[in-house]
Amino acid sequence: MTIYHLFGPVISLCLLAAASVASAAGDTVRKDEKTCFESRKGLSQVRKHEIEPGVMNVKCSPITGGVLFWGDPFDGTIPMGDMPVEADYSHEEAVVKPREPQIDRNKLLTICAMACHNGEYVPYPENKLARPLRMHKDIVPDSMQLKHGKGAIWCLDCHHAVTRTKLIDHYGNEVSFNQSQKLCGKCHGQVYRSWRNGIHGKRIGMWRKGGKKRWWTCTECHNPHDVEQGGRNSGFAQLNPEPAPMLPKGMSNADHERGHGEEHGR
Amino acid sequence: MSKEETKVKGPNGTSRRDFLRKAGSYTAASLSGTAMLLSDPKPAKATANVSWAEHFQKNYRLMTDEEKKEAVTRLEHRYSEEFGKKVEVDDAPAMDGVLFGYALNIQKCIGCRRCVKACVAENNQSRGENQQIEWIRVLRMEKGKFSAEDRDRQGYPEDYGVQVGGNAYKPAGVVLEGQHYYEPDLVPEKDAFYLPMQCMQCEKPPCVKVCPVRTTYRDPDGIVVIDYNWCIGCRMCIGACPYWARRFNWGEPDLPAQEMNPDTHYLGNRPRMKGVVEKCTFCVQRTRKGRWTACVEVCPVGARKMGNLLDPESDVRKVLASKKVFRLRADLNTYPKFFYFME
Ligand code: SF4
Ligand code: SF4
Repeated sequence: MTIYHLFGPVISLCLLAAASVASAAGDTVRKDEKTCFESRKGLSQVRKHEIEPGVMNVKCSPITGGVLFWGDPFDGTIPMGDMPVEADYSHEEAVVKPREPQIDRNKLLTICAMACHNGEYVPYPENKLARPLRMHKDIVPDSMQLKHGKGAIWCLDCHHAVTRTKLIDHYGNEVSFNQSQKLCGKCHGQVYRSWRNGIHGKRIGMWRKGGKKRWWTCTECHNPHDVEQGGRNSGFAQLNPEPAPMLPKGMSNADHERGHGEEHGR
Repeated sequence: MSKEETKVKGPNGTSRRDFLRKAGSYTAASLSGTAMLLSDPKPAKATANVSWAEHFQKNYRLMTDEEKKEAVTRLEHRYSEEFGKKVEVDDAPAMDGVLFGYALNIQKCIGCRRCVKACVAENNQSRGENQQIEWIRVLRMEKGKFSAEDRDRQGYPEDYGVQVGGNAYKPAGVVLEGQHYYEPDLVPEKDAFYLPMQCMQCEKPPCVKVCPVRTTYRDPDGIVVIDYNWCIGCRMCIGACPYWARRFNWGEPDLPAQEMNPDTHYLGNRPRMKGVVEKCTFCVQRTRKGRWTACVEVCPVGARKMGNLLDPESDVRKVLASKKVFRLRADLNTYPKFFYFME
């Protein structure tokens, strides 16, 4: 979460020991699984429940555990809240799924904020220079992978120095984890514009003008700490794909499409 | 349902062609099948009436509103009985002032095939061991090989002795045509990108041109639909479609009752029968009610956008206005309403 990675020896600094997130990443799906994930495995979990007799809130893939169908696209959402710029959501109902419960689901964030990182017990850092990580490598799973802005971004550029349950904007104003777009948009202006226009990122609900929409916020798809996904430079963590289509009758394998055609020319 | 009739109909109703053929052989004097069914000793059962009326109904497009209502109600009864739950068959016509268009961000797609499976769940395609029908296919496109070792150093294909055009047999950067059956543990892979394809809802659809019974046609909102009841299974449309979008029910569709989606549309995801063609309808049962398609909603990276092409404020129009877009096989003058885009 809050770790800095430089080339060569890792000198990292941990400011905030929260969000032990990676646990679900590599797990295989069990048949009886009660939760599935929306976009980010492990960090956008939904619990299956009946919303009316015979109708589930979500249907999930038995193979990958990804949500395949929303019985109610607005289940568990809250109003998006004020946005500083006018866009579609000023004249139609826009809702989001609150991120706080996902991020703070083990209450680590709240506890850290109150017990230690309150500006007194752990003193307020004098400057933003990277220092070796002393603690919390164990409970901050992303700790060796902070890679955002090729090293130009550091913990306190995004996280509030003392109110650990909040993010900050350029002026140091608090931004809720539910509205990460206000923070991310300060650098990623073009993406932010596309997102506000509804053509970057994901929305579900009604396509019709004036119809209610659930908007996905930045961290529902992207991991802000390892946003480049290492050398892959992708923006999305890798996922297990759903199975391949059935082979046509009489075909025993798909080797025909795996070769490069060199065989034919020989 | 009487024993003879079960024989005629098959478990889930059968194709029109099938029916007529078999009915014909039962009535040697070439009396119509109608007469035979009407003289069924036990015609009282609701299902018997339904199948009679269903087999001899008009082409959906030529039906009056009342006839459409009748057809739809008939089906609702039959399906509700067959699947043991309340099935709704919608007959909503195209909305005024709407022309549906779709835009897919090819830069974002990670090849996870979730759209494929969500579509199957939504649209009641056949699944299971014997027949699996998917309306979306995701092609894995390899980025190519560009290493020095991979190049053909001679430049002349030895066996042939003549040069037929540079390193024709081992050019640099060979790219596969597209793999359907890719199965890595994790996607996206480093050396590939993905190209999902489905019905492009062409403005000038070649499939519509070739259909001999005109059971597939373009509705005013731009969706190319199929009246499954009039499909004779000739598969001309499959041959005509340049986008491989159409699928054929070679066997009796396998749709487990508990997985069946009861929110259906006559021209969309209602259960199909053996011997008919089907394809993507932009989830007509959802989109005509204002809801996004199943594949738009499910894509975990938000690569899929759709909306009203006639509304400059719609998602798809905003994509057309601000991104780089292209269509597949634009040279064929099919005018697809399915666009691919990049940032
Ligand atoms: S629009 Fe609907 S029917 Fe068409 S591919 Fe998407 S999910 Fe399937
Ligand atoms: S769900 Fe989205 S990312 Fe996955 S294969 Fe389909 S279009 Fe691509």
